[in-house]
Amino acid sequence: MKFGLFYEHQLPRPYDRDDWDPGAEHTILKHALDQVELADRLGFDYVFEVEHHFLEEYSHSSAPEVFLAAASQRTKQIRLGHGIALMPPRYNHPARVAERIATLDLVSDGRVEFGTGESASEMELGGFGVPREEKKLMWEEATRECVKMMTQSPYPGYEGAYFGMPPRNVIPKPLQKPHPPLWVASSRRETTMVAARLGMGSLGFAFETPEEAQERVAQYFDLVREECTPIGVAINPALAVLSSLSCFDTDEEAVEKGKEGTQFFSYSLGYYYSPLGAAHEPSKTNIYRRFIDTPEEQRMGILGGRGFGGFGGGDEEVEPEDEVKRALWRAAKRGGCIGSPDFVRDTLRKYEDAHLDVMIFVAQAGARKHEDVMDSIYRFGTKVLPEFQERHAMHERWRAEQLAGVEFPVNSSI
Amino acid sequence: MAKVDRIQDERLRSSMEAAHSSLRAGDHRDVVQRAGEAYIELLRRKPELLQGDGFQRQMRIFMFPRLGAHLEVEGGIPVRVVFDRDHFGFTEAVTYYEFAVDNLVREGL
Repeated sequence: MKFGLFYEHQLPRPYDRDDWDPGAEHTILKHALDQVELADRLGFDYVFEVEHHFLEEYSHSSAPEVFLAAASQRTKQIRLGHGIALMPPRYNHPARVAERIATLDLVSDGRVEFGTGESASEMELGGFGVPREEKKLMWEEATRECVKMMTQSPYPGYEGAYFGMPPRNVIPKPLQKPHPPLWVASSRRETTMVAARLGMGSLGFAFETPEEAQERVAQYFDLVREECTPIGVAINPALAVLSSLSCFDTDEEAVEKGKEGTQFFSYSLGYYYSPLGAAHEPSKTNIYRRFIDTPEEQRMGILGGRGFGGFGGGDEEVEPEDEVKRALWRAAKRGGCIGSPDFVRDTLRKYEDAHLDVMIFVAQAGARKHEDVMDSIYRFGTKVLPEFQERHAMHERWRAEQLAGVEFPVNSSI
Repeated sequence: MAKVDRIQDERLRSSMEAAHSSLRAGDHRDVVQRAGEAYIELLRRKPELLQGDGFQRQMRIFMFPRLGAHLEVEGGIPVRVVFDRDHFGFTEAVTYYEFAVDNLVREGL
């Protein structure tokens, strides 16, 4: 199993003010670069960076290609993942995406992971005029054509439902041939099965148990073998899921330093993906204050037990059955990789046994201190990561067995 | 074993197998229709899924993908699939298909 870091660039407002310190955004980005540089030195395999727009406090990461380009010049081996690039053409013209991905691949010496998606928050969809009911169709069309732009000279042109352009040679071309590994954001189980059928990696932005991961892995590889029609030229058979990371000497310290950030991550995510998020008042609503003012036992029940996502109150102890609600619920709970190195190791072994390819960590979340994030990355990288690296060859053999008979070209970094 | 084989109800399994054939044949509208009808049938046979507070009921309906088709609700109960358009992409059809199969299997039908 491989490991990555995941960045939203969370930036909670100060509790007692509605504006940030003037240097706050500058600081959070510089700190993130320091964290990525450390992760690279320790042997982390990936950094994935989101693209979100207008989601104040939750994500100040609207130009991931710029951040990843900066990271490329401070790192040597870590792979640079878009997690994800928004593909509906009203966000980004497919030719511009192809140009940026290729350029990043060149300046990073071929380290790009091309994650794609379409977003789901009303703030973003509404902000760019993307109809919710057509976003997946837009994603499919734009992604398919974008890959062609990276691989065909010239690109023969296209007239589709959502964009069109005349024949042009879209340059530069990526260093990785035929193109960087392709991924799609899979917040819902259904999309993981879409990924398999299109030969894409599944970036599971949900929090899953090892048992669920195991079931998904099996179904995913069945579909890759039996029903795959690649959207690109090469397939990237791979599954990644998300977890929180707060790794300290003791469980107690890890929870103390990691809990609030994880809860804020879940809370602010739930906020923007609920009807309340659609009513968000730009530059006015202080989400962090709402979060802090919510009794701690209710924070997992997004918005203080008002019932968003069917939580039915924050003190709910029974795990929700619904997939999305469950993901949010779990994100707010202690668990995942919040604990001592032993706790984290034991947790991850279960995912390794489930044949998961990549575990991506949310280390920077909420108001976590930079030095704590660095400590946590360092402790994981020195006390947990090495043994998983030593065992990765076994996973490679398992993957080879799963892909036996698959005749499509493969470009995967797993 | 394909997940659709785990659907116990013969009629529902047969319908979802037909949906799978339509998926491969490119008849995406048929996939959406069958998936929607299967989900409605699930909620009809398991009315307890629509019990609880109003929000829980709403979520059962809300979770049905809204990618060009939605469920028409009468008296709080979904009764038919309504098409907002007739053309569906491959990924949209897969999304509806997998949603239906997953829910049928999970609920033991």
